[in-house]
Amino acid sequence: MTEGQKQLGLLGVALAVPIILVASWARAANTRLHESEGAAKDVAIASVSDDSYCTPQLKAIIRRVAGACGLIEGGGGRGCQPMEAKKVAALSGDDFNALFKPLAKRAHIIQFDSSKTELDPEAATLIEKAWSDQRGASFFFVVSRASTDGAADYNEGLSRDRAKGVLTHLQSKFKDEDLKNQVGLLWLGEQFAQLGDEFCGWNRSRSTACTAMEINRSAFVAWIDCAI
Amino acid sequence: MQPPDAVDADFEPGSYAATATRTPLIIATAGAVLGSIFAALSTSDFMQHLDRQVHAIHCSFIPGAGKELGESGCKAVMMSPYSSFFRESTWGGIPVSLWALATFAFLAYRAGVLLWRGKPTRAETQFLLAATLLPVLMTLVYGFLSIVKVGETCKVCVGIYVASALVFVGALMAHLKNPAPPEQGRFPLWFAEGVGFVAVLTLVYLLFTPSPDVKTSMTGCGTLVSGDDPNAVMIPLPSGTGEAAIEVLDPLCPACKAFDERLGASSLRNKLDLKAVLFPLDPTCNWMVTEALHPGACAVSEAILCAAGLTGEKDEKASQDVLKWAFKNQEKLRELAEKDEGALRNKLEATFPKVKGCLGGTQVKAKLTKSLRWAVANAIPVLTPQLFVGNARMCDEDSDLGLEFTLSKMLSKQGKQARAAVKRPAPPKAAAPTVAPKKVAEEEEANP
Repeated sequence: MTEGQKQLGLLGVALAVPIILVASWARAANTRLHESEGAAKDVAIASVSDDSYCTPQLKAIIRRVAGACGLIEGGGGRGCQPMEAKKVAALSGDDFNALFKPLAKRAHIIQFDSSKTELDPEAATLIEKAWSDQRGASFFFVVSRASTDGAADYNEGLSRDRAKGVLTHLQSKFKDEDLKNQVGLLWLGEQFAQLGDEFCGWNRSRSTACTAMEINRSAFVAWIDCAI
Repeated sequence: MQPPDAVDADFEPGSYAATATRTPLIIATAGAVLGSIFAALSTSDFMQHLDRQVHAIHCSFIPGAGKELGESGCKAVMMSPYSSFFRESTWGGIPVSLWALATFAFLAYRAGVLLWRGKPTRAETQFLLAATLLPVLMTLVYGFLSIVKVGETCKVCVGIYVASALVFVGALMAHLKNPAPPEQGRFPLWFAEGVGFVAVLTLVYLLFTPSPDVKTSMTGCGTLVSGDDPNAVMIPLPSGTGEAAIEVLDPLCPACKAFDERLGASSLRNKLDLKAVLFPLDPTCNWMVTEALHPGACAVSEAILCAAGLTGEKDEKASQDVLKWAFKNQEKLRELAEKDEGALRNKLEATFPKVKGCLGGTQVKAKLTKSLRWAVANAIPVLTPQLFVGNARMCDEDSDLGLEFTLSKMLSKQGKQARAAVKRPAPPKAAAPTVAPKKVAEEEEANP
């Protein structure tokens, strides 16, 4: 073999090996690219929460309250009358309350003094804490009540003012445009779905002793993780 | 032994030179072959990513002996802007390891010829020595970039550096020990051969690599429902004054850090007016993830929002400082949060006193929820990072090696026209309920 032949032979090998490698890698990448085209991409899409506790009955109540409170397009004015709530729920008071029991960890009970609508500092703090824990929920419900002390009409007005007091505090503290689309108020007075003393064990604004009367001088606040 | 420069009358330069230079040329050839193997390995890794999928990266000196995913030095180096050139005109660019492969193959050929043929002239060993300076120079440059700029070292790259040193030492010894008298060499021809190796391999690479769909590159994969920011959750990022762009990121996500670095190293960043939407992949605040992919990301996101200020004009520098610090210390912060999130919050307050009194508060938590709900309102995928140019979402597979190519296409005149022609999607139903009163009534009747 002449020197020239040796040189050409080595040149050929030195050039051919990387060329073959690069071409084969490129072809392999091309094949994989075409094989993967059109394959479904298994990536979740960002969405609001829709928890397992969102039963059809609960969703029906949410729709009704959200519509009546102007949270959804074309809804009426803010606030729902007690009788309407009873009709919407089409449930006994106990069954109505049972719908909200899965919210034990999400809900907070804001307590008021007898015949009062003012929020004490603990109540204000708890409302703010509840509001800031929205996560994927779409609606913030304020369900206020009054104890059976006094006249029914008076208690209806009292529970309405308690619900509105919560809303007013949220508006002043957070100045959030979304409030008007997310907060639903429902005041029940003393006539429907009174809370039993088992609710004293829930997250309350007061750590003092609690009776069935006291737990109903309250506003139940919670983000509802249901997509309607 | 006769000294090389004391040639007597009956000296036979060929046979003496063959003996004296054999060992150095063996070293040089071996170094060049070794360099070719490592460069081939690195090129193979790079080219695997041309199929726009996720792959393991070789990180062992012994090919196939060990593979590591994701966060290895190899991955960081390969995804860095220094791993390839001409990224705006070719998807992924031309890998620098391809040129290393061409250079080492050429050096193996030159050293191999001298070794096989024997009797190298001084001009030949001189050229070989000069040619080996190129990998040595590149070793210095890339070693510096790897340590100082990327902050990671790649084992395969270290193999290339060692091979460069070996081939240089072999060539140097061969030249020093070569007793042949000086003569006129065929330097232009040899140089042309070297250039030919690089040119041919580059041509083969460009001819055979997959071509991207230019239309998809320009229009992206999906669009925003609305790029508006009604709740002022966006954080301005360092950028220029060009087209509005939104980066959805998690401050403790390694891919976001790498993406930010790639974007920062690209001149195209100056053509964007870039803002960030925080999307921590941490269930502490994000209901869309079930496990903490990046523990502590919610706390760090809160700190960024606090630094920017929750109301009024945003303190851009303060928020960017927190983000930069979080990117720099990602691993430590994730580890700290995994053990004790309270400790992470204390560290954030100690490092950035401005966030004290805000971090962990109800206002910033509500703000972070708004940031997450921006993603819901736009029905974007639950992943980070994501880049939206105007309203068009850059395809995920284009956000690593193909970033510069795709971004340049999106920002081109044709890209703007193509994006403008894409119809925006309707808002997601779950995010904005639109149940009409009549329908409500019907449902009530159906459920007495």
